Amino acid sequence: MTALAEGGARTRAAEHVSRAAGESRPVRYLVGAVCVFICVLMLSPIVLSFVASIKSPDEARASPPTYLPHSFSLESYIKVFEFQAGLWTYVSNSLLVATLTIVICLGLAVPAGYGLARFRMPFKEAWFIILLAPLMIPYQALLVPLYLTFSKVGLANSHLGLAMVHVILQLPFSIYLMRNSFESIPRELEEAAKVDGSNSFQTLRSIFLPLAMPAIVTVALFAFIASWNEFLSALIFMNKETSFTVPVMLVSVRSGKFGAVDWGSLQAGVILSILPCVLIYLLLQKYYVAGFLNGAVK
Amino acid sequence: MGDAGVVRALRRNAGFLYVLPALAFVGFFVIWPLIQLVQISLTDTSLLGGGKYVGFENYSKAFEDKAFWRALWFTARYTVFITPVLMGLGFALALLTSANRPLQQITRGIIFLPVVIGIGSSSLLWFWLFDQQVGLFNKILVDIGILSEPAVWFTKVDMALIAVIISITWKVIGFGMLLFVAGIQSINGEIGEAALIDGGNYWQRVWYIILPLSLRVILLTTLISVIGSMLAFEQFYIMTGGNPRGQTFTSVYWIYQNSFISFKLGYGAALSIILTIIILVFSSLQVILSNRSPSQ
Amino acid sequence: MHMPSLRQAIFAAALTSVALVPGTAFAETLNLWARSSSSTAAQHMIDLWNATHDDKIELTTITDNQMVTKLATSVQSGDVPDLISFDLIFMPDFMKAGFLTDLTDTLGADPNQAKVAQAFRDLASYDGRLYGTGFTPDVSILLYNKDIFVKAGLDPEKPPKTIGELEAYAMQIKEKVPDAYGYYFSGSCGGCNIFTQAPMMWGSGATLLPTSGDAPALEGPGVKEVLTMLKNLWEAKAIPESAEADTGSNFFATFETGTIGMVGSGGFAISAMKANHPDMNFGIAPLPGIADGNQSSFVGGDVIAIPKGAKHADLATQFIQWQLTDEAQLEGLAKNLILPSRTDLADNKYFQEDQRYVVTAQAVGIGQTPYAFHFNDMVNADQSPWLTMIQTAVFDGDVDGAIEAARDAFHAIAAQ
Repeated sequence: MTALAEGGARTRAAEHVSRAAGESRPVRYLVGAVCVFICVLMLSPIVLSFVASIKSPDEARASPPTYLPHSFSLESYIKVFEFQAGLWTYVSNSLLVATLTIVICLGLAVPAGYGLARFRMPFKEAWFIILLAPLMIPYQALLVPLYLTFSKVGLANSHLGLAMVHVILQLPFSIYLMRNSFESIPRELEEAAKVDGSNSFQTLRSIFLPLAMPAIVTVALFAFIASWNEFLSALIFMNKETSFTVPVMLVSVRSGKFGAVDWGSLQAGVILSILPCVLIYLLLQKYYVAGFLNGAVK
Repeated sequence: MGDAGVVRALRRNAGFLYVLPALAFVGFFVIWPLIQLVQISLTDTSLLGGGKYVGFENYSKAFEDKAFWRALWFTARYTVFITPVLMGLGFALALLTSANRPLQQITRGIIFLPVVIGIGSSSLLWFWLFDQQVGLFNKILVDIGILSEPAVWFTKVDMALIAVIISITWKVIGFGMLLFVAGIQSINGEIGEAALIDGGNYWQRVWYIILPLSLRVILLTTLISVIGSMLAFEQFYIMTGGNPRGQTFTSVYWIYQNSFISFKLGYGAALSIILTIIILVFSSLQVILSNRSPSQ
Repeated sequence: MHMPSLRQAIFAAALTSVALVPGTAFAETLNLWARSSSSTAAQHMIDLWNATHDDKIELTTITDNQMVTKLATSVQSGDVPDLISFDLIFMPDFMKAGFLTDLTDTLGADPNQAKVAQAFRDLASYDGRLYGTGFTPDVSILLYNKDIFVKAGLDPEKPPKTIGELEAYAMQIKEKVPDAYGYYFSGSCGGCNIFTQAPMMWGSGATLLPTSGDAPALEGPGVKEVLTMLKNLWEAKAIPESAEADTGSNFFATFETGTIGMVGSGGFAISAMKANHPDMNFGIAPLPGIADGNQSSFVGGDVIAIPKGAKHADLATQFIQWQLTDEAQLEGLAKNLILPSRTDLADNKYFQEDQRYVVTAQAVGIGQTPYAFHFNDMVNADQSPWLTMIQTAVFDGDVDGAIEAARDAFHAIAAQ
């Protein structure tokens, strides 16, 4: 069976099982109601944030707070759009760094996952643990030595350098996902390719990559989200306003004297920074959920 | 030997060669700074530069640093409270949404949505919601009658802890849920028919089949979640500021204070190394234990 | 001889024209880092300079609490900006660490520098050398709600002149005006309170922060009195409950809700109040001490300096000297209702329109700035000894114990 057909059969089987095991109409309605309740609960902070972002800045600060705005105002959004170098500058920096992060992350994780999944090698488990090590180290502690090293090799102040720092955060999980995804591909396909005379690299390209596409898309999505939202190294590793990314700008736009927070700008910033991630998530949802399903289980 | 020999050697070590780029990357960008961190921890380097070799003095100071151990204890408490919430709730949500019908898929998507928000923004969002003066969460609680007046959440440790746990749960529950959904869906596909024949009801199926078979996913997700909680920083930095009286400092928060506020980079490095070792030991234990349990 | 080609001719003409017009030949671009809370003020100065100079300055805003880290990593890696505008309390640490360029011979000799507020001149000096000067100052004052004063039966033109009066007025407001509070302060913000509560202490004669392990700390009249006043007000619920957890986010916002009688605040508040709440009547007064005549303030805001290794140090020095000129101080700062660093310009035509600005500018003259190393550690850090002292004294009720513990902690830090 092809992977797609397998997935379809799984779904049908799951449904068949739940229906036959006595999941009657009332239960279905109950499940539905709970789902709706949970959706409302999970969405409400974002909805409240959105509503606050379209209040006038003064009303956003009001105490006690109001639920619905008395007057609509895009002032908070305008403030974010026009801050210093302008929103578009920050967005392009963020997009560039995120793209580089995805490319580097995939470039490292795909081969590494392939090697770990399909080949024998001495000390394999040890290598795997070393590759997972970055997860266990407090990342803030590494920043200063990393920055000083980067500036010696000229990587400080560059989008490439920042992307590499972001890859550090994402690599362990990405390798893990790719390894599992490759492991779940049936050996028969690999055997067939070998019989045809392909070497390992050709097999990787023609057989594994297409089948592991969901996992690859998942890795890309998570790498994007992590890079898009990362603040601390984006601030430390870049030295000019025109190189800053969106998170850095968002912190500056909402910070006032002595820790004062402009609540309106905060909300506008939250909504603006969610949008690209949500868009990408929706567009890729097909791949991405399947990617999880295949990649994360074993 | 010649070319054929080289090619054969390459083929034999193909696996390792594929892993090499990632290993090299981690070597340069993680292991090397880590070694530098160890070097720094043996000095009294200041953030503002300068410092001399002091041997293990930072480490002995760390063992006597009551605030560090209190932070570690608080972090452990936080981890112990939030992990079952995340795992239990995550698994329950996974059971709820494991079917691939449209409503469940939409619900899954919505539950996952907060994962895409940065932790800084999310923590500030909840800080705003919990604020006694401008917070809507308080207002809602008052309006529906649970509270008589808006509460101040961050002046008592337990309430502050609950507030942070609520905010983090909202933010990350989708991640664990999705991992569990993956596990459940693959089990349902393979085992479903057999259980059907046995005629058990839904909850029996969950308890006797789904849970045991999901053990490996559960253990792995728990490990990732625990490590993440032990390294918690930003949510407390933003929401509690250590209040009250420094009782909500976490380990990394305390390291941050020492390194970047008190300028004691050397001492902070030593604390980081100690924390990394603790996490490494704990993770290894968990991995060993989980490898002993029946997985497949 | 061959006729020059058209291309060569144009090129020669261009080169000639460039050489003939002075200053346009090689215009430099300088980089100025300012912390985000003072970036708007910095932008005014930069815009003014850019409008009248060929060499341009670009602004980069750095989040307040990361400024030190950023500067430290930059200096150590050698990649520094040309100018930095930062919280003046970091000057001692930076000067001691050798981060800044010595400006004694250039800036020190400038006649305008002698007219700068004493607090800035003191804070920018180390070991007899000068390393910077004031840039976008701010000063702490007492902000009070005249409408609430009237409702409480207090004379709106007579703000408290002693902390005894402050306490009495706050209690009266609490009693007489429903839904209003007498006083406010951010109970979890060390920086806010060194800015607003400390002047009441040192105005009365106290020495707060030690410069070394055995220098006096928290000694003298004022410390216990101010803490006791706050404790009394807290216990009488004349201060809102939310004050305890306020890490600074509502430092100013609470007064804006119109429910607070008096609050320690900064000069920035005047413009903000007039813009956001034109209907609220508010007054400005210097922060009082124990006795009348003890008024004082915290002279704060940003200083400007040149990091060591800056590529355009000469041009940067020019900018620093330029910003102290009459034109820059008046058109860049005073016109935008920002305090000038020069005390001789406190009474200027822009401030005349609103007497409150004059009061604020005068506060610079009676104010101090504590000179201490590891200031951040002692005061601004989360759960700093300074903050813990206030919290233990006011919210937990133990004034004496709080002062003792803080004194020991200060000495431990200063001894490093």
